[in-house]
Amino acid sequence: MSSITIEKSASKGINDLLRHLLSTGKVDAVLAMRMMPDTGAWDLALVTDVKNLKELKPLAPVMTVNASQVLSNLSLSGKKIAAVLKPCELRAFVERVKREQGSLENLFTISHTCGGVFPLDLVAEGKVDRLLPKYEKVVSAGEIPSNIRDTCKACEHFIPMNADIMVSAAGECKPGEGCMIYLNSDKAREALSECTGEHGSAVLDSTSLEKLATARAREREKLFSSIEKDCSGLDGLVNIFGKCVGCHGCSRVCPICYCTLCDFESINFDYNLPYFEEHLARKGALRLPPDTMLFHMGRLTHMSFSCVGCGMCSDVCPVGIPVAAVFSRTGESTASIFDYLPGRDVTEEIPVMIFKEEEFPELG
Amino acid sequence: MNKEFKPRITSFLCKWCSYTGADLAGTSRLQYSTSIIPLQVMCSSRVDPVFLLKAYLSGSDGVLLGGCHPGDCHYETGNYHTRRRFALVKEVFESLGLESERLKLSWISASEGPKFARVANEYTEEIRKLGENPTRKSIFL
Amino acid sequence: MKNKKNSVLVLGAGIAGIQASLDLAEMGVEVHLIEGTPTIGGRMPQLDKTFPTNDCSMCILSPKMSECARHSLITIHIMSNLEEVSGTPGDFVCRVIERAKYVDPVKCVSCGLCEAKCPVKIDDEFDMGLRKTKAISRYFLQSIPSEYTINPNYCLFLTKGVCKLCEKVCPTGAINYQDKDREIDINVGAVILATGIDPFDPIGFGQFGYHRYSNVVTSLEFERMLSASGPFGGHVVRASDEKPPKKIAFIQCVGSRDESIDKNYCSSACCMFAIKQSIIAKEHSKELDASIFYMDIRAFGKDFDKYYDKAENHYGVNFIRSKVADIVELPGGSLELRYTFENGDIQLEVFDLVVLSIGLQPRKGSRKLSEDLDIRLNKYGFCHSDTFHPLETTRPGIFVCGAMNGPKDIPESVVSASGAVAGAVKLLKLERHDVSKGEEEVIEKDVIGERPRVGVFVCHCGINIAGVVDVKNVAEMAKGLKNVEHSEDVMYACSTDCLEMIKERIEEHDLNRVVVAACTPRTHEPLFRDTISGAGLNPYLFEMANIRDQCSWAHMNEPEKATAKSRDLVEMAVGKARNLTPLKRLPISIDPEALVIGGGLAGMTSALAIADAGHDVYLVEKESVLGGNMRDIFFNLDGSDPQQFLAETIERIENHPGIRVLMDSNIGEIAGFVGNFRTMLTNGSGEQEELTHGVVVVATGGSEHKTSEYLYGRSSRVITQKEFERMLHEEKFPPGKLREVVFVQCVGSREEGRMYCSRVCCSKSVKNARQLQSKKAKANIYFAYRDIRTYGFSEQYYSDLRNSGALFFRYTPGNKPEVEMVHPDDPDSRIRVTLFDPVLEKDVVVDADLLVLAPAIDPPEENLKLAKMLKIPLNSDGLFLEAHVKLRPVDFATDGIFVCGLAHSPKDMSESIAQAKAAGSRALTFLKKNSILAEGTIAQVRKDRCSGCGYCEDVCAYAAIEIDMEEGIAVINDALCKGCGACVASCRCGALDLRGFTNEQLFSVFDSLEIEAVEGIL
Repeated sequence: MSSITIEKSASKGINDLLRHLLSTGKVDAVLAMRMMPDTGAWDLALVTDVKNLKELKPLAPVMTVNASQVLSNLSLSGKKIAAVLKPCELRAFVERVKREQGSLENLFTISHTCGGVFPLDLVAEGKVDRLLPKYEKVVSAGEIPSNIRDTCKACEHFIPMNADIMVSAAGECKPGEGCMIYLNSDKAREALSECTGEHGSAVLDSTSLEKLATARAREREKLFSSIEKDCSGLDGLVNIFGKCVGCHGCSRVCPICYCTLCDFESINFDYNLPYFEEHLARKGALRLPPDTMLFHMGRLTHMSFSCVGCGMCSDVCPVGIPVAAVFSRTGESTASIFDYLPGRDVTEEIPVMIFKEEEFPELG
Repeated sequence: MNKEFKPRITSFLCKWCSYTGADLAGTSRLQYSTSIIPLQVMCSSRVDPVFLLKAYLSGSDGVLLGGCHPGDCHYETGNYHTRRRFALVKEVFESLGLESERLKLSWISASEGPKFARVANEYTEEIRKLGENPTRKSIFL
Repeated sequence: MKNKKNSVLVLGAGIAGIQASLDLAEMGVEVHLIEGTPTIGGRMPQLDKTFPTNDCSMCILSPKMSECARHSLITIHIMSNLEEVSGTPGDFVCRVIERAKYVDPVKCVSCGLCEAKCPVKIDDEFDMGLRKTKAISRYFLQSIPSEYTINPNYCLFLTKGVCKLCEKVCPTGAINYQDKDREIDINVGAVILATGIDPFDPIGFGQFGYHRYSNVVTSLEFERMLSASGPFGGHVVRASDEKPPKKIAFIQCVGSRDESIDKNYCSSACCMFAIKQSIIAKEHSKELDASIFYMDIRAFGKDFDKYYDKAENHYGVNFIRSKVADIVELPGGSLELRYTFENGDIQLEVFDLVVLSIGLQPRKGSRKLSEDLDIRLNKYGFCHSDTFHPLETTRPGIFVCGAMNGPKDIPESVVSASGAVAGAVKLLKLERHDVSKGEEEVIEKDVIGERPRVGVFVCHCGINIAGVVDVKNVAEMAKGLKNVEHSEDVMYACSTDCLEMIKERIEEHDLNRVVVAACTPRTHEPLFRDTISGAGLNPYLFEMANIRDQCSWAHMNEPEKATAKSRDLVEMAVGKARNLTPLKRLPISIDPEALVIGGGLAGMTSALAIADAGHDVYLVEKESVLGGNMRDIFFNLDGSDPQQFLAETIERIENHPGIRVLMDSNIGEIAGFVGNFRTMLTNGSGEQEELTHGVVVVATGGSEHKTSEYLYGRSSRVITQKEFERMLHEEKFPPGKLREVVFVQCVGSREEGRMYCSRVCCSKSVKNARQLQSKKAKANIYFAYRDIRTYGFSEQYYSDLRNSGALFFRYTPGNKPEVEMVHPDDPDSRIRVTLFDPVLEKDVVVDADLLVLAPAIDPPEENLKLAKMLKIPLNSDGLFLEAHVKLRPVDFATDGIFVCGLAHSPKDMSESIAQAKAAGSRALTFLKKNSILAEGTIAQVRKDRCSGCGYCEDVCAYAAIEIDMEEGIAVINDALCKGCGACVASCRCGALDLRGFTNEQLFSVFDSLEIEAVEGIL
């Protein structure tokens, strides 16, 4: 695989790369995380002027929104965009492309090995800047920072799948190795042929990530078994989702929930008085808004096999329901029965759109 | 509570095979459990996974989905989709530790009156053993 | 007054007769369907499953049966015979005898009380005598018409003047012992015969012990044993001890391929039938051991060889090539078979059950029928028809289809039926018609915006429902349901009086929704829909609760529970009815022209069938000549002249005012849908033209496989059958003697990459071998083959060839004939062929003067492009995949597109002609209408909700839904949607719904179902 080595830190190196792409006109815009000057607040920024590039912190462990959501329409604008995506954002975007919610055609997808992101409450408290040095130290040692999202701790897909450009930013780094950039597509090789740095050929040394992989797998098991304990059976579900206030924030920030309007918020589930009367006549009481479990279980049937475990849903839940853990755990099961891995390959078809003539012999 | 448990099984039956098979069971005077509450749909593939959830959450003790045998779908490929969607819902149930036995998929052809009666009886028995659906008791859902 | 001559009489209501009737009726032809038994359906209802898809036979047939019974243009005459046809083509008078039924079909409600009380037990013909029925009965449970009939030969009252029990119990007074046979004359333009076949009766085959040994059964009896609705409820047990057999033997060719009993023809279907039965039997019981004793396995149809392979390699069925000499019954009922292998070895083996794969033979009475109608039979007693006119009898105006003129399987019967229709309609003067014409227009009441006012009618069905369910209680309960304005119980909801009463109630209570709780909507919904339609309500404002078939009949011993369930069912129906909305079936206009792609025999025949019926046809051919593969065919087995027929056909095409031939033309694009296609064509000089047309017939043909095996291309002495046929025709033989000629079959067929039989090669090689013998009497013929598949009447030519001294060497894929040049450097060198003789068990070496290969038939590569353009599927072999391999063999799932000829699968000229006519005929069912009506229950898109994700597009089997890429939303083609709802359930966004089965309607059904919570759980 072609590679470029820039004798700088990964975060500086990637800025060079973006500058090169934008200044040479290879792309019209750059999408990446930014720290707003002076405020300590974070957002996702689309930059077209080279002079604004310096505000970008593309590798920052912050996800204010799953970038795949905002990228959908942008990617269809016809403009060439270099988008710096976390591996889960890239996978989510691939899932969206499969659902006609975006296109890879005009994109340069840039992703990196990911150490996980901070939960939004830490971001909101303005602590990111302060926490960064320690984060970087822990991540470059191939360990899991204790203060990242739970689903990040348990994420096993921290190496990007199929990004045009991949930057090495996690795992055990050898001192002085510099910023390693891997070019996975002809598009990337062509665009970066003139980029400064040492051009060569290299593959990501996965051994440097083994430690992290093992740790992540252990965390995953821990997280899933705690969910299994707490959220098992009807009682468990009532216990966990009983706190739900029905804001549907989880679906709104979900990159896989691409629907223009969520069905569960539509008139289909907008009951009128007679419905309530009937139910009340039978049960004597009714929870409002209704259909709490139907919403969550319905969403599980709609999207769980495509869940990339980004963790946005848990972060926005006002009452602290571990939505992401529940969904990625069920998602792992539902995807596995179809041998599916969300975001792996844009040509891999969504399991409920296809079938095999002979499968699931145990059913029916 | 010494009231006799009367299972209620919401049964989505495709018009062309399973519903016809159920009719044949009746025409042949095969006796089966009254717990089966039939509901005709054009094709088993009309049954949105959300229907299964809704039937379960509304207190059906069992949910039966009957379609043409794989390969026999009146609409070419509908039941293949049904099977995938059913597998999906069942997996969601299993991962959440819910009683996935409360969902059943069965392929019953138009000439399988005896099979319909047998499935009806066997499934009722299975549900009887499983007991009442706990969702019946919960107002939370 | 209607022109009576625009009607057709169809004799025989098996699948062929049903198909012919439906096609005719769809073209606007009045049909009289004459059937001897008390039901339509023929043989198919007796079958459990059908090969090679293992489709449930009844599942696929019953919709066609109901359609036939419901069609306003089809009059069914059951228990009737055709006695005489007089007059001339276009103006026949048919004398029909309708036998007395002794039950008034108008009054009979099929409750079955009469049968229950009838004291006379007789053998059930439908179940092959394996079960008993009564003197008053239905032919089988799903008979159509469903009314009972009395068998006068057994009825005690009609034979001995005593009993009358049925009259006493009949709740509707339907029994009429005074009923008489009636003689009627029907004036028709054409007659189609479809009387089918009889199974061979093996009683004369003493060595197999049929009837003497209780565990020797025929394949048809075995089929009933396998059937879930059969005498043993689908449990395969031996008659002798009612134990499941562990070892079953199938003996092939019982009554076929047998000169000694004057049946020197192959029954064509029995090999597949036995394979199917062995698979099904093994599915019943995995441990079961099944062996098929055969001479050749004739799996020559589309996808048959894969099925054969699956039976052998997946299911482990034993295929034993040998002759069974005799069977001896052992104590306990098991059977010892003595059989001989090719090499003469004899083996004894014991089986628990033996199934005789009986052949097909002409119907009993066909001799008399042929005399009555003045048509010729062939030497085996089948109706005669010739190669180029496979659907015509010897009497003009009388057509033949189904197995009546030769053994056929189901799809071939369906094809021939549609094909025969093409002949019949030529004799009629058909106008294009409007589908709604003839129905009285009632001004429909606008109910939108009105509060639902539901009327509920709960039927007693005599004592069928009321005997179990407390009907009055149910009706009373319904009065309390929301929106119910009126509820009452009625004796027979379907009686004429009651239907009138329902109309009155609609008026009286201003009802805008109607619920009938009675029998099954499958049979009665159309009737009630018509009724409310007659009262000015949209027919879709109706819902039925099935409280008989799925309640009172199934819970006869639990009256209380059955009543409770009936209440639920009524409540659910009211719940749905409340949310019903009026639906319209929108008209889709149909362009009267047709596009036929391919100018070979199939394309030309199809074009003529359509053009002869008065429609303009564009016939597109990519080459600069018409005729396709037929240009290379010079002989026929029966001696007829293909080139003469081809020349006549081309002349007819070129002079036909309705056909425009577009030579050297390529199709660039086809857009649109049924009735409204637009095709962009480019001709040889690069000019473009747009054609508009209503239907498409795909007849793209096939070609001889280009082989590199057996030194082909490297030696002048190795040629293909096609080349050999031309050589025979031109009599340009290679220099020198022509003494040793070796034929190699299955070159490229039935092996990796082409797992299908090319069907025609065996007969073609036999034909050319016979030609060779006639021209070079001294030539020795060696035949290397895997199975000789000279099915049907070709069998006799194969046995002629055998008897003439040709030598046959069977080979296996692992042991193909070996070839080498005698002089490797000389391309004209003779070919040394090494053949293994399995009889002598040693190699035979022949220095061949000519090596003739029979290469496979390949589908053309451009099929893929066409398939994409038309959104129609190909199978794994690259052949077009029809809508249903059994019952829709020339249709595609997508309406308005048809297939015929080699594009569908390899077939001979007769079969291509029949299928081409069938495709033409199916096309005419659309073209003969000004417009068709889209389904009422179809999917709809809420644009504002759609995210354009494309789930729906992917799951639709009919290409009826597409994402408009500009707008990013799904668009439904009303003309193509069949209303299954697969897309609706796939839609995450709730942007799709199925009219008549909306989410709201279905939710309201199970909301009604919601179960009360147990007390005190707050």
